[in-house]
Amino acid sequence: MATKIINKTVTELSLRITRCFFVPSKAIQTNAALFQERSETSITNVEEQLLPTIRPPLPIIYSRKLAFPPKFKAVRQAWVSNMDTVEEEKLGLIDLHPEVFAERPRVDIIHENVRWQQLYRHVSYANTKVRYEVRGGGRKPRPQKGSGRSRHGSIRSPIWRGGGIVHGPRSPTPYFYMLSFNARLNGLRSTLSAKLAQDDLHIVDSLDIPTDDPSYLEKLVEERGWGPAVLFVDDNDIMPLNITAASDVHGHYNLMPVYGLNVHSMLKHHTLVLTLAAVERIEERLLFHLNRNDAAEAGRKHRLDSL
Amino acid sequence: MASAAARSFVFRQHINTCRLDFASCLNIKSFYSSYSANPKEKSPEHYTQYHEVSSDNWKFVERLKPPTVVPSFPKNGSYFSDWTPPPDTPPNLPYFVKRTKNFMVPVYLNFEAIRNQRKITMVKHIEGDIWAMEKDIKSHLEEVTKRPVVSQVHEVGMYIKFRGDYALHVKKWLLNAGF
Repeated sequence: MATKIINKTVTELSLRITRCFFVPSKAIQTNAALFQERSETSITNVEEQLLPTIRPPLPIIYSRKLAFPPKFKAVRQAWVSNMDTVEEEKLGLIDLHPEVFAERPRVDIIHENVRWQQLYRHVSYANTKVRYEVRGGGRKPRPQKGSGRSRHGSIRSPIWRGGGIVHGPRSPTPYFYMLSFNARLNGLRSTLSAKLAQDDLHIVDSLDIPTDDPSYLEKLVEERGWGPAVLFVDDNDIMPLNITAASDVHGHYNLMPVYGLNVHSMLKHHTLVLTLAAVERIEERLLFHLNRNDAAEAGRKHRLDSL
Repeated sequence: MASAAARSFVFRQHINTCRLDFASCLNIKSFYSSYSANPKEKSPEHYTQYHEVSSDNWKFVERLKPPTVVPSFPKNGSYFSDWTPPPDTPPNLPYFVKRTKNFMVPVYLNFEAIRNQRKITMVKHIEGDIWAMEKDIKSHLEEVTKRPVVSQVHEVGMYIKFRGDYALHVKKWLLNAGF
């Protein structure tokens, strides 16, 4: 019976986790022991597994150094919460750079980004036949002169019923284009600012949760009033095992590394949860791109009119 | 039929055990692009010798490389061009014009319309009350040029456009205002 449970969970996890890989927690080294632990937690009760979290006196996180310190714009501040308990515990208050998180949200640029994300990978497979592709139509239907009727060269010309289509869709038609560098950069800034302004951005210290039970995440999100869909963003692309297993069951809790952050995903999920490491990385990257002079190099390889 | 059922049960069990074995011998491989990861690689003594000349000379290479991020300007106070650094305190106005990343005043002369016939002066990076700013600059330009000035206020993009080549006037006005 224990074997069956192990196999079911392993195959499910291995099939469904495509973008995030899980590693054993620090105490466990071998994969066999990993699967053993997984079966134990799924059988036993959730409440028994959760031990009371012992924390040093708060606030734990209370300062952050901002790169390119803003001169005249007010620094924004945000709470740092925990993921150890279902109830929210505020671990500290950190500064957020206004150029990244307090930019005037440009709705038109956000729209451009969403449109680009949806369209750049779209390929239209609609197809119509041109006159030479339609079956038949090689012979002149009647002689040029003498019949008293109009002259024609083929029965599949576009003016004929059943003839070829002149400017119809031709499969496959790609709709690939690259949005300009600054449009993509400002899209991220606008969306992050909008999320923070609308109270949909939350910062946590890390994504370590005490159990891999999916109901823990449900209760946590319900308790804190986070939206139905939550996007967890961390700097690393190898996420802790517990949150990977817990969110794997739910399609609306998604894990994402910082390099996968995009406007469409941020808008699709109601709540955006960033780890401290993710905030550092995002700020460092966006501020670097805002203060570099060779941004044209970044978009050079995607120019369509050159090889 | 009983034997077929028994066989299928055994077969299923066999598959389950196979899956467990396969899963338990999964290794997360890491492919590092380094020659030293190759088992055929020998220790460095087997290969060509080299000796370090000087690591101090690297600074001559580094100073040729362009900086990745715009460096800050020298604050000594004397600049040979007519560029002035951005002030430390913002002026007491309901609007603000931020300098570009190269610490330049964001006034641009664009050519629009077919055959570049229309000269448009554009002021970007405006924050605050854009209409008040447009009124102030427009009145100043009309005073200077003694001619009506046509302008466009773009509230979403937060820029102002003036029809005509007033780039130098606008720049001077902004520097005098303290931006």
